[in-house]
Amino acid sequence: MAARGADYEVTLIDEHPQELKNMSFDAPYFYGSGLPASLSDETAVFDNVLSSNELLLECVENEVDVKIGVVAWGAFHNAPNSQHIGTPKVGIVSREGNELLEYDALILATGSRDFVPSFKGWELPGVLGGKAGAKLLTSYQCFNGTRCLVLGTAPLAVEFARAACDRGIDIAGFVEPTSKFQAGDQELEWALNAGIPILYESVILEAGGTDKVSSATVISTDGSGKQAEVECDTICVSIAVLPNVELPAAMGCEMQFAEEHPAWVPKVDSNLQTSVQDVYWLSAFNAQDDQIPRILSAVGDAASASEAPTGTTQHGARAADYINVWVAKLLEMGGSDVVLCQCETVTRSEFLELQPPRYLKAGMRHPHVAVTGGDAGPKISQDLTKRMTRVGMGHCQGKRCRDEAAVLLSQHYGIPLKDIKPGSYRFPVRPIDMSLIAAEDDDYHTREKWPHWMHEEVVPESVAGTAKR
Amino acid sequence: MMNYDVIVVGSGLLGLSTAYHAQKAGARVLVIDRGAVAYEASSRATGYLSLRADDPDEAPLAGMAEKLWDTLDEELGYPTEWTQKGRLWVAFSDKQLEELHQTYKAFTRADFGFELIDAQACRELIPILSPETRAGLYTPRSGHANPQRVSQAYAWAFQDYGGTILEHTPVYSVIAEGGKAKGVKTAAGDILADRVVLCAGGYNANLLEPFGVVFPVATVRLEALVTTPLPPMYEVGFIGLNGLSIRQTKRGNLHANGGPHEWVDLDADIEPNKPNTPIVRNLVRRMIEAFPVAKGAQLLRTWAGVLDITRDQKTIIHRFDHPEGLLVAAGAGHGFGMAPAIGIAMAELALKGHTSAPIEGLSLERFAGLSPTWKAEKKWDAGSYNT
Repeated sequence: MAARGADYEVTLIDEHPQELKNMSFDAPYFYGSGLPASLSDETAVFDNVLSSNELLLECVENEVDVKIGVVAWGAFHNAPNSQHIGTPKVGIVSREGNELLEYDALILATGSRDFVPSFKGWELPGVLGGKAGAKLLTSYQCFNGTRCLVLGTAPLAVEFARAACDRGIDIAGFVEPTSKFQAGDQELEWALNAGIPILYESVILEAGGTDKVSSATVISTDGSGKQAEVECDTICVSIAVLPNVELPAAMGCEMQFAEEHPAWVPKVDSNLQTSVQDVYWLSAFNAQDDQIPRILSAVGDAASASEAPTGTTQHGARAADYINVWVAKLLEMGGSDVVLCQCETVTRSEFLELQPPRYLKAGMRHPHVAVTGGDAGPKISQDLTKRMTRVGMGHCQGKRCRDEAAVLLSQHYGIPLKDIKPGSYRFPVRPIDMSLIAAEDDDYHTREKWPHWMHEEVVPESVAGTAKR
Repeated sequence: MMNYDVIVVGSGLLGLSTAYHAQKAGARVLVIDRGAVAYEASSRATGYLSLRADDPDEAPLAGMAEKLWDTLDEELGYPTEWTQKGRLWVAFSDKQLEELHQTYKAFTRADFGFELIDAQACRELIPILSPETRAGLYTPRSGHANPQRVSQAYAWAFQDYGGTILEHTPVYSVIAEGGKAKGVKTAAGDILADRVVLCAGGYNANLLEPFGVVFPVATVRLEALVTTPLPPMYEVGFIGLNGLSIRQTKRGNLHANGGPHEWVDLDADIEPNKPNTPIVRNLVRRMIEAFPVAKGAQLLRTWAGVLDITRDQKTIIHRFDHPEGLLVAAGAGHGFGMAPAIGIAMAELALKGHTSAPIEGLSLERFAGLSPTWKAEKKWDAGSYNT
């Protein structure tokens, strides 16, 4: 709206409402495998998502070209070793097909996603993330569940719980590994007044149920080993959110590690411009509170920029510490024989020992460790660990497991997260139907002049060797 | 100051294979790289062993590699996913059929059992082939492996023998004194060894320039992709539609390589940029043309690599007399499959001065009199596209 107000031609791209099939890839949010069947009613879903977003409707009225239910799967610009892109462009794909949109300025406001660590039974229908839960409740207005256990007591957990209560869903309790309610006293008071039990110094041991969640086993972390069975049909994991950085990372924006989140984020100047020209990072993870005017002034007249202030936002306790506590306690209580990567069925111990995937039925002559770095460069590369174990290589593109995997590596090997190079983000940033992304503009030159892959080109008689003829 | 028997510059598959065999033979070996292990050409490889049937100079080395591949998992102690189920070139049009016959003629220069087969026989090998299939060129020999696993298998097997890998450490130059190689100048200081083996892709040319050598390689950026996993459908290595390679991985993903080439320049200090482009959409289109069933999968991941192509697209294996102790290898775009054999040849040449591997005709001698402007003449200079 601000850019439109400044008289720019604006296209707004949003992936919601997502197709049911795309939601099953757990991106951007961790929807889990218990998505309500009512989401397949596309007309109703479009109505719900649009009507619950007043600002979006305002954009439509003000001639912003709003493209919803559309995925920005890649972005392309001339860069070293790629000099034939021409005008910078974004690749988008809808339910009908794909197109390349050219831009003068690209604002990435890709939001955040759920951090959901593994525990026994986390693949059961009924386990979902806090962002996913809140989105399903307030935007899609489709939610399967009547009694929900909430993991975590951070602001996201309370936001979800309030939205759930408003819609008549019981909250079976909050599970908190420390002795402190993370969202603060006011929210604690709300929870107590609402009669919601708070299980302090506890983590989940297991989600119970055969074809869907029917209970949760919660275990005390005080060493007593005390367990409690909580009856519930949904488990909402609301521990932390992390920025959605797939697009800037994959398009080559320089990234830096923000210790407190803990996450890799694009490096920006004081106008929020990334290292890629005309590409801006607009995010709640940035410290500035006047981000939109900064970006607009830079787009308008290339306002001079300085090095970015170093700070990023702080939401109460450091998310990094909270994530660390959860991962450490879940491992301590749940052990290492828990599936870490759902797509490829790899356990925590198989991952940390760099075991080849089970389907290869192969072992390793000697144990190897993930730490490869010397004095220069990262100490651990998640590209290596994913290539060996397939954790992060599956159809969710690592969205479910890559962050926990990094924290596990950090704790297991005693290497700070900043020294662990995350697995490379790749295009497409969402899995895309082959039929939708196939090029329609396959011109004569591309079709007929596309050179043979070099080593398959037949060596002509004139230069073929003669030694053994 | 660090001291080794052999320094290998470049931790791609050729460098790792060379290092593995030299270390196994008892030498103390260092592998050094400006980036991470197998991050340029080796991570983009299709995973095929080209038998080089059209070139009698290279075919014997490919034959040697083929035998090594069949027992490589046992040799290294780690899985490579080697699948020995043959290779199949497929024609889908009159034009491609004509090209296939020419290829067949060329492939009879060596005896790898290539034969022309009809569409029905092609579909017995790959049941999901398009109805447009006209004919195929097939050999039951050779196969494919997982490039990422193979590189790591060599790296780990090398380390199991006590070898050292130094990542993220640029090499600036080769040190030579009195006509002998003495080591390398690096970002971590000088490192000494009497034998220096260059397996650094296009950057070999930069390292050899001070010795008056015009090293005949150009570097190219190429793209690759995989789909989401599908049920097991075929095991042969497929090639068709202007050199598009598609193999099905052990996990079930379709892994495709091919497409336009962008020629690039490489820099010493940093791992080269390897962006993808919208051309992956055209790759997808061609995959669907070859295998219509691919329509039902999702594009999961794309990536790109940079690799070195020699002027005549043939392997280079060379041991210099001046300076003594300096050696160079280049894989010419099919180094992946050749690597097991090239590693043995290079290790033997470095340690013993001679090798039993069939390398006749693969030295730099064949490029005597090469024009210094050959890249521009061939339109393989940086920035050229699809040439």
